[in-house]
Amino acid sequence: MQRSTGLLLVTVLGLAATACGSGEPASPSAGGAEAVTITVACQPAKSAPKERQAWDDDVATFMKNHPGVTVKSTDQQPCFDPKTFGPKMAGGQMETVFVVPVTNYADVIGKGQALDITPYTSTIKNWNDLRPDVRELVTKDGKVYGVPNVHYGVGLVYNRALFTKAGLDPNSPPATWAEVREAAKKIAALGQGYVGYGEYSGGNTGGWHFTQAIYGRGGSILTPDNTKAAFNSPEGKAVLQTLHDMRWVDNSMGNKLLVGWESLMMAMGSGKVGMMLGAPDVVTDVVNKFKGNVADYGITGFPEAKASLSGGEAFMINPKATPEEAKAGLAWLDFRFNTVGKGRFDFARGKALGNPVGVPDNDVYGDSPTGKAIQADRVKNASLPVENYEPYVRAAATIPPKAEPVHAQELYAILDVPMSGVLSRKDAGIDQLLADAETKANSLLAAKG
Amino acid sequence: MTSATDVRPATRRRAGKARAPKPIHVQFRTIVSPHQLNSRWGRRIYWLVLVAVIVVFTLAFVFPLYWMITGAMKTPEEIAEMPPSLFPAHPTTDAFAEAWDLFDIGTLLANTVYYALGAWLFSMAVDVTAAYALSKLRPMFGNVILGAMLATLMIPPMVILIPLYVTIVDLGLLNNPWGLWFPAAANGFNIFLLKRFFDSIPRELIEAAQIDGAGPVRVLWSVVLPVSRPILGVVSIFTIVTAFKDFVLPLLVMTDSEKMTISVGLSQTAGAVTQNQVMGGLVIAGIPMIIVFFVFQRHIMAGLTAGSIKG
Amino acid sequence: MGILRRNLTAYGFLCAALACFAVFAWYPMVREFVLSFQKTDLINPPEWVGLDNFTAAVQDPAFGEAWLNTVEFTLLALLCGYAVPFVVALVLNELRHARAYLRFVVYLPVMLPPIVAVLLFRWFYDPGPGLFNQVLGAVGLPPLAWLDSSSTALISLVLVSTWMNMGSATLIYLAALQNIPPELYEAAELDGAGILKRVRHVTIPQTRLILLLMLMLQIVATMQVFIEPYMLTGGGPENATVSVAYLMYQFAFSQMNYGQAGALGMMLMLALLVFAALQLRTTREDQA
Repeated sequence: MQRSTGLLLVTVLGLAATACGSGEPASPSAGGAEAVTITVACQPAKSAPKERQAWDDDVATFMKNHPGVTVKSTDQQPCFDPKTFGPKMAGGQMETVFVVPVTNYADVIGKGQALDITPYTSTIKNWNDLRPDVRELVTKDGKVYGVPNVHYGVGLVYNRALFTKAGLDPNSPPATWAEVREAAKKIAALGQGYVGYGEYSGGNTGGWHFTQAIYGRGGSILTPDNTKAAFNSPEGKAVLQTLHDMRWVDNSMGNKLLVGWESLMMAMGSGKVGMMLGAPDVVTDVVNKFKGNVADYGITGFPEAKASLSGGEAFMINPKATPEEAKAGLAWLDFRFNTVGKGRFDFARGKALGNPVGVPDNDVYGDSPTGKAIQADRVKNASLPVENYEPYVRAAATIPPKAEPVHAQELYAILDVPMSGVLSRKDAGIDQLLADAETKANSLLAAKG
Repeated sequence: MTSATDVRPATRRRAGKARAPKPIHVQFRTIVSPHQLNSRWGRRIYWLVLVAVIVVFTLAFVFPLYWMITGAMKTPEEIAEMPPSLFPAHPTTDAFAEAWDLFDIGTLLANTVYYALGAWLFSMAVDVTAAYALSKLRPMFGNVILGAMLATLMIPPMVILIPLYVTIVDLGLLNNPWGLWFPAAANGFNIFLLKRFFDSIPRELIEAAQIDGAGPVRVLWSVVLPVSRPILGVVSIFTIVTAFKDFVLPLLVMTDSEKMTISVGLSQTAGAVTQNQVMGGLVIAGIPMIIVFFVFQRHIMAGLTAGSIKG
Repeated sequence: MGILRRNLTAYGFLCAALACFAVFAWYPMVREFVLSFQKTDLINPPEWVGLDNFTAAVQDPAFGEAWLNTVEFTLLALLCGYAVPFVVALVLNELRHARAYLRFVVYLPVMLPPIVAVLLFRWFYDPGPGLFNQVLGAVGLPPLAWLDSSSTALISLVLVSTWMNMGSATLIYLAALQNIPPELYEAAELDGAGILKRVRHVTIPQTRLILLLMLMLQIVATMQVFIEPYMLTGGGPENATVSVAYLMYQFAFSQMNYGQAGALGMMLMLALLVFAALQLRTTREDQA
């Protein structure tokens, strides 16, 4: 019905007929059965010319190796933008191959916005070396909907230079929350504008980091059967109490609410924030996108962690893609993303380009043969002191990963409220905030069935 | 105002009588009577209020812009300083250049200007012909149509944003300027303003042209349009300014980073650059409209009152 | 020219506008109605779901807060954006000097794209080096949390909104004031009315129509507040700045639930229509 109204409108409008027609990226080109055009997401932005060049070189090589396949890149940043994802998908503007962060897997798969690629998995390079738990995340009812691309667990990212400046030893970062508080106090005492510990409070990032923190303490967001909220627990209270005390008793968290992903990244990049919860990709992003000095950042294990929220992203294929396009898209993924020593794993090239090589920012292959080969290659070409990340790697191996709750975005919106509550109000009642959020979450879960 | 000339003789007379303080010119009578105004206390209060208003307005409306411009001329360190410096210690224009590159302002600005001019040409073509038909050709159900068009003014754009967006998606007009131009042309207020002006064009003028054998197109082109310049100016400027300032619809329709408008582009990147660069971007984004305001101030002021007062 | 011929020509001239209105103004209203009873993500075929979207919208955790905030925002904005421009216009109208400058300056922010004003104020509101707290500090007052506290966030949004919009209202009032016949003031003065009485008995009745019209426009405009919470607060802290329009946007583009967004849009439309009807009635009674 929707289509036909659309067509009707086009005829009514007459004029529009000439204007549209350019919106179908997934249409096979007219000449020959072999020729196929795919669009691929995630080309580096113009502001990173060297990396963009490397990408363009890869595209050229790929097209030479695969005659008949034309690859067009899009460079929207960030590659996955929840604000434009729905509109693009609905408007037929979605790339053949697009990126989805782990937070949105369930949503995208559940809504039929990704192609079932089960028939092709046997052709995907190193498929069986991908971590099984990571593969499980893109699988629903036995069908596979994506190629995991990046995976990591949470750690504590810290600024080594600030540690030194505050008289702390950057080589023995905090391992408990009590030590985190102490270190944060010393860093905040460096003066005006210094923040010991940075944390989000809005734009769904507050709820996201609350989830990271409560998982770390051994708590959960939902009951195992996903029917009730489980965050109004001692663990949940401990998360908020610690934040509240750091903000209002220690005064070590700055006086500004951080809303949205960039806000804390920007602060971290400016070199005035001591610590934050985050995965190694934070280091990569802070350095590549927010002008952080790469040698300043270290990452250590998640303090006192009992579990770690899984982070990462996967590539998925446009549900409207033809089999030829899907195959070409997967071939591109193999070439650029899944081959040891090639594409993004071409660490020698990365080092030459000045990338922060050595950050263990991807654990998608675990300790499979492929994973080991990648890690060896990474260490060999490392452009930074890999020992800065050792504590994280050691700790990460022992902390079990834990997946996002269902309806993650809606729950994160609800959990933004207690996070912003404790960070904006000295007299915030933690029990009340959690109880309110619990009520909201339960009615949401009831409504969603 | 023409009354300025009427006032002068009176002034001279008064100035002759009381030679010390120059009396305050009164062009037209307002709440405070000229007599009160020119009394001893009236004058004192008047000057006090005047100075206060000028100072407050300057602080409220000009100083923020000054702060924006000087902010862009500070270094990232200086802009974060507390207390802030009133004037940049080492004024530099680096932030403008950096903002230009980082936000890709060249592309954004070109896009925005293109969309605004396109919206203007298309809406003028559509709305002028419609207003002309409703005013001078007076078709059956003309009033019903006008009423239905005006009724859309009662429905704020935000309320129908979602279905409008869905319609644009159905038509495949995402990332297509027509996705902005068609909705821009569906502007009841423009048609209302134009029609009301056309209504005031004397019938004889048009009949004379018709006797000369001019068809409706000729009449519109060579009789109606030339005498309607003032209203065309007003409608043009408002259409362009509105299109340039628009945020929500372009946010949804122009998602491709190569096709974004300046407002959307700034909103997307502002979180990832330093404060002085943000200010640099804002200054550049603000300049085109400030220039338009300087040049067309008279039209804009006239246009503000055109629709509301007599309607 | 025959009637038929004249009508044909007229509709020839009208057709482009009719098409634009039909597709991009009238149809979306109908579509909103249809959408609100459908479950659709624009990819899979829509399903009819009855009133589910309405119940889901009402049950959303932020639904009640969104309406309260919107009403509160509208009332605050009326105070700042409706009363203040009128008073400002009254004062401006009395001034005989610097008129052009003052009019120019008050309208300047209106010309700026809203994003410029909003991002500029985002910096002013920064609790650290932001202008406002620095000014407060300079005059010996304690800093405020502005956007970062649920008690001040909403009023901070009203402030931005007023700053960037009050120019047009001010100039419209100013024009209305200049249309008041001077004789009325003279007569009032002869009756011994003081300045305040003149305002009450001459100025306000004489500008009543425009005041009523502006009241309606203002309410309709502020009920749809979106860019301020979207850019400045993300609806926080503690949902203190979630507006109905912002929630609608979230339904559609964060949760990809266009039907639920349509349902909320319908509610907003109804609320505004009821309000407009009331308004129309009072205006009529007023004129009668």
